[in-house]
Formats: sequence, C-alpha cells, structure tokens
Amino acid sequence: MAMQDTSRSSTDHQPVVHTAWSRFWQNDAPGYLFLLPWLIGFLGLTIGPMATSLYLSFTDFDLLTSPDWVGADNYIRMFSNDPKFWTSMRVTMFFVVFSVPLKLAFALAVAMLLNRGIRGLPLYRALFYLPSLLGASVAIAILWRQIFAGDGLINKLLAMVGIIGPSWISNPNYSLWTLIVLSIWQFGSPMIIFLAGLRQIPTDMYEAASLDGASKWRQFVKITLPLLTPVVFFNAIIQTIEAFKSFTPAFIISGGTGNPINSTLFYTLYLYQEAFSFFRMGYASALAWVLLALVGLFTAFSFFTSKYWVHYDE
Amino acid sequence: MSNAARLTVVTGAAAPGRKRLTSILIHVALIGASIAMLYPLLWLLAASVRPENEIFSSASIIPSSFSLDAYFRGWNGLRTGFGVFFTNSFIISGLSVVGNVLACSMAAYAFARLEFKYKNFWFAMMLMTLMLPYQVTLIPQYVLFRQLGWVNTFLPLVVPKFLAADGFFIFLMVQFFRGLPKELDEAAQMDGCSPWRIYWKIIIPLSMPVLATAAIFTFIWTWDDFFGPLIYLSEMKSYTVMLGLRTFTDSTGESDFGGLFAMSVLSLVPIFLFFLFFQRLLIEGIATTGMKR
Repeated sequence: MAMQDTSRSSTDHQPVVHTAWSRFWQNDAPGYLFLLPWLIGFLGLTIGPMATSLYLSFTDFDLLTSPDWVGADNYIRMFSNDPKFWTSMRVTMFFVVFSVPLKLAFALAVAMLLNRGIRGLPLYRALFYLPSLLGASVAIAILWRQIFAGDGLINKLLAMVGIIGPSWISNPNYSLWTLIVLSIWQFGSPMIIFLAGLRQIPTDMYEAASLDGASKWRQFVKITLPLLTPVVFFNAIIQTIEAFKSFTPAFIISGGTGNPINSTLFYTLYLYQEAFSFFRMGYASALAWVLLALVGLFTAFSFFTSKYWVHYDE
Repeated sequence: MSNAARLTVVTGAAAPGRKRLTSILIHVALIGASIAMLYPLLWLLAASVRPENEIFSSASIIPSSFSLDAYFRGWNGLRTGFGVFFTNSFIISGLSVVGNVLACSMAAYAFARLEFKYKNFWFAMMLMTLMLPYQVTLIPQYVLFRQLGWVNTFLPLVVPKFLAADGFFIFLMVQFFRGLPKELDEAAQMDGCSPWRIYWKIIIPLSMPVLATAAIFTFIWTWDDFFGPLIYLSEMKSYTVMLGLRTFTDSTGESDFGGLFAMSVLSLVPIFLFFLFFQRLLIEGIATTGMKR
C-alpha cells in the first residue's frame, strides 16, 4: 500500500498529492472510516460525558434548573457530612472483600477437581457454568428473595434438621450475606478461566516433582499456584470491578431501598437514589467520580503489586 | 485425562483400589455440588407449576400436581400483558445484536488489519473504556438522551450499540481477526480489492465463530439488562421483561407468587436456550478471552 502510494505520487506531477489532506485520504482514511462508529461513540458517549460529569460534580445540578458552581462542596459534604455515603461505602467494601475471594476460591477448587481428568467433564463444567449465565437476571434476584425469606426454601430445609432459621433477607445481620452467597453461586465463569489456565501447565513439571517425592499439596503450592498467578490476577481484577458495579440483585432484593437499615445499600444503589429519586445530579456525579477513583486506585494498586506475586514466563 | 493418568504411571504409588476410591469420592462431591447449585433453579421451575398453597409449604422439587394456571395468570397479571414486554425485549435485544456485531467488527477490523495514524492511541483509549464504571458517564448521557427526546423510546438502549459502545466485544474480535492469515488480505489487495470488500468478503465470512459468540453474549446481556430500561423506560407499554418482573414484585407479586415465578421462568427461557444449543461457543468464548460472566 505504502509502496504503491509513493510510486504514484512521484510519477504524478500534481502538487496536491503531497498535501497532508491527500496523504490522509490515501493512507489513513480507510482505517478511520471503519473506526467511525466507535469514534463517534467514544467522543459522544464516553469522553464528552466524562468531562461533563466531572464538571457537574462541582455543581448543584438538579436536572430541571441550570447547574450552579458550588466548588468542592459535594466532595466535602460526602466525606464530612453524609453518613449514608460511608454506610454505602462500607457495604460495598464488605461485599467486595468477602464475595470476590470466596468466589475465586470456589472457582479454583472446583477447577482443580475437574482438571484431574475425570469422566463427564463437559457436563459438570456446563452445569457449574449455568448459574453464572442466568445469575444476573432479575428473575434470579426474585428467586433469591424467596429462598432466603422467613418462610423460604432455606428455612424449610433447615427445619428438616430441626433448625429454625431467621428471616435472612429482613435481618440486617444476614441480608448482605445473602447477596454474597448469590455472587459465590456464580463461580462458573472464573472456574472456566481457571480450567483453561490449568491446562497450560506442562505435566512434566508434576512428573519431575513427584519423582522428587513432593506431596500433592506441595505440588499445588510450589507449581500450580505460582504458574496460575496470571490467571488469578486476571480473575481478581475482573471480578472486583464487577463487584464494585453490582446493582440489580441489591435493588430487587431490597425493593430499591437498600434496607433493612441500609445493610444492602450498595454504593451504586445509593448513587442511583441520589440521581434518579432525589435528582441531586451534581452530587451523584461526584459520587460517580469517587467510584472511578476507587476502581482506578484498586486497579493501579493491583498492577503495582503484581510484579511481586504474579509469575510471568519470559 | 492425561494429567492424572500420567502422574500415577510415573509415581506408581497409588494402588489401583485407592485410585478408584478417590475417583468415586470426587464424583460424589461433584454430583452433590451440582445438585446443591441447581436446586434453587429446579425449585423455581417446580414452584411455577405446583398448586399455589404448596409453594410455601414444600421444599421439594417435585410438585404434587401439575398445572400451567400460573403462566396464564402471570401473563396477564399486570395492566399491560407480558406479551408486550417480551416483544419489547426481543426488539431491543435483536437490534442490539445487529448494531453491536456490525459496529464492533468494523472497529476491530480497523484495529487488527488497517494502518492509520494514531492507531495505537485509539486502541489504548478503547482498552481504557473497558475498565470504566458506567456511572461516570451515566448522568450526562441521560441528560443528552433526554434533550434529544429519546426517553421512553428504545433509542438510548440501542443506539450506543451501533456506536460500538461495549469495547469488550471489539477486543474479543481484534484477538480473533489477528489470528486470520494475513496473506488473504494481501492477495485480495493485489487483485484490487478495497478494504471494504476485504472486510465484507473475507474477514466476516471467516469469523463466524467469534461473531456468533459476540451476538449471543450481546443478546443475553441486553436481555438481562435492568439498569438501562429502569432509567430510560417509564411507560409500561415500553417496558422490557425485566422491568415487568420488577413491577410484578411491587404490585401483585405479594399475592400471586405462582404468577411471579411463572413469568420469572419464562424470562430465563431465551437465555437457557442459548445455553442449551451454544454452550460450547459460550464456554470457549470465556476460556479464551476471560469474559466476566
């Protein structure tokens, strides 16, 4: 392509060929034409709105009247004078800190079992994956609300062994845990990624290790885990970002309130309430930027620490 | 298969009897785990066909009698019937699939096969959007769509798909396109094929697996989407199935659990069908690219 162009421009004696515009038209235009839809979306739906929302976060925008500049008031209020902000932060952190490691532990444990060359692997893998595929649906959140209700399925099963369970959903000590269990239940997709990672580990490493008399546990700690760290790292990042963004289950199970006593008030739910129930759009924009900062900090921190624990082949 | 088999050959330590026992124990554990995981889903299915009074008295997944009454009750349980909600959901998801596959494959083709100025910069920007929480663009987008008069239409849910807003699918396709032999493009180019013809006649036909994967995931994610419709659709006649279900739980749900569960089951059927017929594609898609769910 490049060669054709230069030969053409040297034989043609028209000076226009050398202008920046015609060079663009010959070399770059096809690429930009194919990229055009994405480019419009990126500028109009991502970059533009990002800049706008950063601006709005310094205003008192309420959707109906034009925004007035309030400086850093929204951020100051958030950190110094908004207990609900801190509640939602605590709920979200609790959810992330417990759901992600537990989900990944389950995913890895089941992947290890499945990777032993057992019969019926495709069937097991499909069955364990099904909840991941269905789990984000409103229907599943409705089901969960029933399962963990006072007269729900869990308590029916507990009653068979003589335990009288509480109403998990409406008890603030347990309500968040029902959401954590829902998240763990969907361990299927990280499990599939772990399985793909385990397949990459050369079997001769295990053979050499067992010839040296290394136990199964030592093989796991010294071979499997180090070689799997890139996959663990990848899964941890994806699942953590997803957990920060989680919205639907908490909304459906609490009927949009985050109750009982704000025990399921996810950060995203609080942001939604501020923006679309109270129309405090300026404040909600500030909440969104704090969320972005949080996710960004977490990602940066993970990448920074990864060189100490993630093992990459040269 | 080979891992465990080769291991025992080398070690020679595990006696055949012990190995058999381990294998049985593993199967017992896996079957137990499968049942525990699928039990809620089976119970939901049972609750939708069993007599109403049995829903809260039975933990069993086998109903004492079978009836489809709840499906008829639930279908017309709200002012607007679920037929409308399903039609809306199919329209939105269908258009999203077309838009996403078209726009993302075009962008991916540019990134994977064409040379242009600042390509690496744009590619880095695209990767950046993968990590971006949607809340950051939410409010200005809402204001924009509201000013365009798009609230209470499907446009805010569909148009972004035609602008390749979900960078994840671009990334997925770039990976696939890069794996196709470059000689094909070069040969076609020698024969005077334009980039558009190469894209349409060579790349697209050879990329059916990845396009199908993207199409299925787009459909499922759009079908499942609750947040978008919650914000943009406030008239019942434009509700999606997910919004219909939510309204059901708020209004009649407390009195008609049978109907609610029946509609919940129906809302899962399209996703389940994709699972049934395309699970290989879905699982490979996840294994090779690390899809989030």
